[in-house]
Amino acid sequence: MRNLLAKCLFAACAVAASVAWATVDAEMEGMEAVVRDDGTFLVGSPTYLFDRKLGSIGLHSESELWTPQKIRYRLLFNRMSVLPSWEPLAPSVWMKTGNELGDMIYQDLITAEDRPDNRTPILEGGFRTPSFKGFWVTARGFQDDHYSTGTSSFRKKMVKDEFSLIGENYPLFSSGYAGVGYDNEFVNASILAGEEYVWLFSKSYRWIPVHYAPRVDARASVGDLSLSLGYEAAYYQDKTRHEKGNRIEINGSVFYENDDVYEQMNFVLLAGLSFRALDDSGNVYTELDENRVVWPFVGFGVRPVKNVSVEASVGVNDEDWLVQDSVEFSPSVPSKMGITLGVKNISGTRLNPIADDKEYFGDSTISLSADGQMNMVQGYAEFADSADFLGFGGRASFWAEHGAETFEVSKTKKSGGAIYRYGDVSRIDSWIKAVSGELWIGAWYKEMFNFKALAGFERIDGPSERFEVNPSEFFVAFNVDWFLFKSVRIAHSIRYRSDAEWNLYESDPMVVKGDWYWDATFEQQFPKQKLYLTGSLLHVLADEVVQTPNGGTDRLRFVCTLKKMF
Amino acid sequence: MKLNKFIVACVLMLAGIVFADATSTASAPAAPAPTASATGDSQSTKPEPQAVSLEPQASAADVAFSKGFVSIEGGEMYPFGDLIDAVNNAFYGGLGFRYAYMEHVDGFVLFNYAYFTPYPEGLKIDGVHQFTGKLGVDWRWSAIRPLALGVGFACSWTRADYDDEKITEKSFSKDLGGTLTDNETEFGWFVRANLPFLYKDKYTVGLNVLWEEIWTLPERSNMLSVGVYVERRLW
Repeated sequence: MRNLLAKCLFAACAVAASVAWATVDAEMEGMEAVVRDDGTFLVGSPTYLFDRKLGSIGLHSESELWTPQKIRYRLLFNRMSVLPSWEPLAPSVWMKTGNELGDMIYQDLITAEDRPDNRTPILEGGFRTPSFKGFWVTARGFQDDHYSTGTSSFRKKMVKDEFSLIGENYPLFSSGYAGVGYDNEFVNASILAGEEYVWLFSKSYRWIPVHYAPRVDARASVGDLSLSLGYEAAYYQDKTRHEKGNRIEINGSVFYENDDVYEQMNFVLLAGLSFRALDDSGNVYTELDENRVVWPFVGFGVRPVKNVSVEASVGVNDEDWLVQDSVEFSPSVPSKMGITLGVKNISGTRLNPIADDKEYFGDSTISLSADGQMNMVQGYAEFADSADFLGFGGRASFWAEHGAETFEVSKTKKSGGAIYRYGDVSRIDSWIKAVSGELWIGAWYKEMFNFKALAGFERIDGPSERFEVNPSEFFVAFNVDWFLFKSVRIAHSIRYRSDAEWNLYESDPMVVKGDWYWDATFEQQFPKQKLYLTGSLLHVLADEVVQTPNGGTDRLRFVCTLKKMF
Repeated sequence: MKLNKFIVACVLMLAGIVFADATSTASAPAAPAPTASATGDSQSTKPEPQAVSLEPQASAADVAFSKGFVSIEGGEMYPFGDLIDAVNNAFYGGLGFRYAYMEHVDGFVLFNYAYFTPYPEGLKIDGVHQFTGKLGVDWRWSAIRPLALGVGFACSWTRADYDDEKITEKSFSKDLGGTLTDNETEFGWFVRANLPFLYKDKYTVGLNVLWEEIWTLPERSNMLSVGVYVERRLW
């Protein structure tokens, strides 16, 4: 999706992110949090994670915030998620497999005591043909069984079958689609249809199984206009309570952006709307007020004078409003240096105005939106300087938030190895204040070698016992990427992040201990044949721990991909 | 514990650098002066014998798949370490494909099958079918020709051979060998020495000695394979 304003709006984040990210491959698109520790990235499953970069404005998880550039993301309960992605991939044929390391295999024959849990794989295969007179065909089957074993003991009791396209590991998602598309100079269009199993993580800390059959996703771009339309027949069940339900959902978006004129006019305008319309019957465990939501929004980016840029987006409907804006000043400095001073603001009634409004848990109703509004403001300064092969930079920021979304726990319940909670989404009606700082140094040699060392800290003051997550206070990271002979890519990243805490869990917080992580990707490339063989080791040094309430265990894993581009 | 991890982290970082350095040595052109050295002395006009070129004259794009070979191989696999108490030695057979990847570096893919019998007696499983896929690179270092040294990743897929009547619902978690009644897959890595010793037209006969470590728990699983292969050049 062309989205220049989105690039502008989040330029500061992107700068910091590009510094922090190594080029280690995550196991699947939408799971980049597993190769990041420049903040608080806690993964409970492929379908649920807490992702907050250190120094971000506000206390929330980034995926809980709706923004214009997430207009085609998937809505997983209240989070905007890339995964499971139905974005058609480039023309190619590919397959992927991997496993959490530690199946016993022959060790099973000599291990009678303390037998390790079963380890689970990742599986994917797909293709997209080259265009034939503009037309192409694609199909993809993909599922990630990682993080599944720790929770499958209580999840499997809720469903009547294996709840996946392949295997018996009760993966947190399993998805398959096929479809056709058409591209030419003016139009890109596609329609995909398929079946999907997803476990959604709710505010009550429940895993809710949803079977989409069918799911249909149509999208088209015509000039500056992008359209999407989805149809989902979703089936819900909880075998332990003898409950069933189904939801027919039609959702979609219209999006316009005149980024073509940005260079000439120093102005970009965007406008659009997202919508959802539902028809529920039986037990579907959530409710959207009036079974519909329409979310129109507008935005702009403008450079009124040479060194100043202003960006803003505003969304509003009959229930909610959300404003996100920033002003940046970049004084003139020598060419290899950069300085940016910025102010950012996010205000609104709800982080995600298109999410459902109520969750039903037994006889209780959980309100998913709170009265009042949140206000976040941030000031930041960024600088960078570089010589031919060396560079350094940093970022300092302060932010404050009033009315932060949180969860008011009325009671908790333990059942079958899991813990659940009742209550309502509410607000922290006092100011939370924070300061953060990050520094990096880098060295590089042409495109062959790139090294970066980073460190950051953040101090947050406020009623921390009411924070859903107390973020990590500091991190360090060392990233080294090699690209040799224009055909061998080796990327690796060693990182440490400090403790994070889930506060609204039990009387005592759930502490996710700080740890070292090492990730590495090795890739053989055959440029002439457009063939890529890739293997990645993820979380090699880390202890195998649960990172979210009722989450699966984060384990060392290996993933390999074979891809032939057309 | 954290200090230990930091030390390991530093070693791994260093290992990555050394590994990359070794890789670059592997395909450095023998004669011409390097265009750029790993020391970053790109202004130097004097050839430095110790310098390592990161930009070989023949790029991978020119060499990749310029030669291709298929092979059949047979031999025996020997469990090592505590695995000796788990399974007996087993014969294996398989197919291979080798291709030119870069100057002095070949890539290869191997698929093997082996049937392992348990070493302990009285288990509920009779044996285990194992299919293994390996993907790696051979470095043909001129100093030790014709011996080539290889390294790569391995993936083993296993499934037990058993009598249905002996297996219960709890076998998977309780019985020795129980997890193998389902499909079990695990990855690992290997090193190998590839010694071709007989050449005839398009055919080559050689010895393949391979040590592999599969990343199992509670301990890693190590095995040695020794086999003879017959290889035919396709193009």
